[in-house]
Amino acid sequence: MTAATAPPATPRAWRVPRPARPARLLRIELRRSPVLWMLPLLAVLFWLSAYRTAMSNPPFWTIRAAPLQANAMLAFAPLLAGVCAWAGSRDGRRGLVDLVGVTAVPRWAAQLAPWAAATIWAEALYLAGVAVVYGVTAHQGAWGGPLWWPVAVGVAMIAASCALGFAAGLLLASRFTAPLAALVVFLALAGGAFAIQDNVRYAQIWPLSVQGPFPAGSYGIFYPYLPDLAIAQVMFLAGLTAAALGAIGLPAAAGGRWLRGAAAAVTVAGLATAGTAVGLAGTARVTAHGIVIPALHDAASDRPVRYTPVCSRSGIPVCLQPAYRAYLPEVTAALGPVLSQLAGLPGAPVRVTQVAVTSVQSERENGIGFGGPVISGRPPVLYLPLSGMSLPGEGNVSAAQFTSDLRQLSGPQIVNDLVGLPSGAAVGTGVTSIDAVMGARHAAQVAVARALDQIMDLTQISAGSAARSGAGSVPPLARQEAAASRRFSALPAAVRHAWLVTHLTALRAGRITLSEIP
Amino acid sequence: MTAAEVGQPALEPARRGAAGPSRAGLRLVRLHAASRHVLTCLVVLAACAIALRTALHWLPRSGVYARQIPLTIEAGAAAVIGVTTRSPFGEPERATGRWLPWLRLAASVALTGIAVGTLAAGAAAAHLAGGAAGLARDLAGFTGIALLTAAVLGGGLAWVGPIAYLAVTLPALAGNWTTPWIWPARPPHDRGAAICAALVFAAGVAVITVRGARDRSRE
Repeated sequence: MTAATAPPATPRAWRVPRPARPARLLRIELRRSPVLWMLPLLAVLFWLSAYRTAMSNPPFWTIRAAPLQANAMLAFAPLLAGVCAWAGSRDGRRGLVDLVGVTAVPRWAAQLAPWAAATIWAEALYLAGVAVVYGVTAHQGAWGGPLWWPVAVGVAMIAASCALGFAAGLLLASRFTAPLAALVVFLALAGGAFAIQDNVRYAQIWPLSVQGPFPAGSYGIFYPYLPDLAIAQVMFLAGLTAAALGAIGLPAAAGGRWLRGAAAAVTVAGLATAGTAVGLAGTARVTAHGIVIPALHDAASDRPVRYTPVCSRSGIPVCLQPAYRAYLPEVTAALGPVLSQLAGLPGAPVRVTQVAVTSVQSERENGIGFGGPVISGRPPVLYLPLSGMSLPGEGNVSAAQFTSDLRQLSGPQIVNDLVGLPSGAAVGTGVTSIDAVMGARHAAQVAVARALDQIMDLTQISAGSAARSGAGSVPPLARQEAAASRRFSALPAAVRHAWLVTHLTALRAGRITLSEIP
Repeated sequence: MTAAEVGQPALEPARRGAAGPSRAGLRLVRLHAASRHVLTCLVVLAACAIALRTALHWLPRSGVYARQIPLTIEAGAAAVIGVTTRSPFGEPERATGRWLPWLRLAASVALTGIAVGTLAAGAAAAHLAGGAAGLARDLAGFTGIALLTAAVLGGGLAWVGPIAYLAVTLPALAGNWTTPWIWPARPPHDRGAAICAALVFAAGVAVITVRGARDRSRE
């Protein structure tokens, strides 16, 4: 076709290209997000850190949920911060800042798209991992329902680490920004964990703390999971996310005055939210059922969960919460020999009922002490908490070891309770002088308790026990106590039982002296 | 040669032979270091040493945290060394740089040595779990991973390897894994762990010397 034969061009309306809509921008960024090719690595890390840890423990929802918050975040957050810093510094590294700065789309809005894309991919992988862990847990027949608050904290943590890394990369575009962002997040998490272990009050806000010092199996079973701390952590992380994303919109190139004003408002609101959450975490207190933050606490969470206990058919029935159904044989085997020795004595338990944590006491290094078994009621019932014990299948704990541990832990406490010794009295293991421990008033009770412990093989009296070996300078009272204990344990079982039936009430009341012990 | 020098006699051949190559060599090293941001890397390594010294002041002498936080700093130092392998010139430099492999070898080995020395100096007056031997082993292994990652993903992403490996070591530290390939979880005098770390470092240095960091044309 030549110019002479060409038909005249029809006039066309001038078409102004429409600015890219956020959804289209997001679609583009989803395709080119660096998190996309990091997904296999993140999946492997999730498997190593969270999945393996969760699955090496018994199928309790609380135990399975804890690694989804703490372990997964330790693996995800630093890498995501680094990758998002890498994504954020993209324009700067490629020398495109001036070029994209003159486009029609406000820079702040355009910059949020890569962050959103990275966050969406990371959240999708994390939630897929959560689905696998919870799916397997449900398949294994865990009692109750899945916990969603730890997952919410994980989701918020992913968004926050992406936002912080992205902001760092955007505001400081350098080849060193990404590794330093990952390093700083790693150090922050490790430092936070160290602060938690050091019992720093405000450190509970750190998302590695699932329920303060409570072991994963000691909450959320008899009473609902208390979400107070998780709410504060989500607030904190959402505040950090908002502050980081708002900071992106503060530079002059980010947009017009109104847009930058909005970005400043978002930043301030985010910082205020994060600060409020830290303040709330400072008011947290340890209760028997978890961490309570008064301003966030819902009284409905204090109502116990309804359940029908599962009981053994033994002479003295042992009843457990249905979540512990699988451990009924082990618990019965652990307590059976102890309870059968004590059967028929006044005040001896006629039934064993598993209960929630009865009392807690904060200890050093983010530790917690739980109250032991208690005999009370009429007829007497042994209220047995299993919280804080390593269950069979937890780590390397076998059923035999669990049975032995439970017997050695609970047996002496049951005996102490029965003879009227103070709760938690250290009888037996290496105690050489009762004067130093409980005083002479409890001498007969200690002697009988030691004898019973020895008969039931509940405690190993240390070889160096001066009172028992007769060596060294032993207080006279300790010698008398040891002698009484030896005499009592040497009695025939029927005689011993008959004496206890007759004298246990008086012994418990402190009216029996060492010389009266046969 | 400047315009002012036109007309003046050229340098004597003997003098040029003596000073020229060494000066040119030094200039080449300086330019290579500048193009890799080695100075910034040294500043970051010094910051890592200060961070290690500060952390050791607060950390307990034993336990998981006594190992975890120093390891994190070592991984960060290795990641920064890996990032310095990135070349801003790409193919032209590869095509014309005859001494490039030697420069890459020297840079990676020297930076690793400096990092070990700097961090050891930072930990000198404090108790570092694992001691200087453990630090050297772990840092060398981390650096090897960073260099291998640089060869696979590119210099700018070399940090992914050590940071991901660090994330793997955390459950290993808590779970007392015994494989020597997770050398940070092994005692400092474990021979298998030392061999594994040395192998990874040697592989990283060899790969980065021969091939260099992968070029990502868009970066």
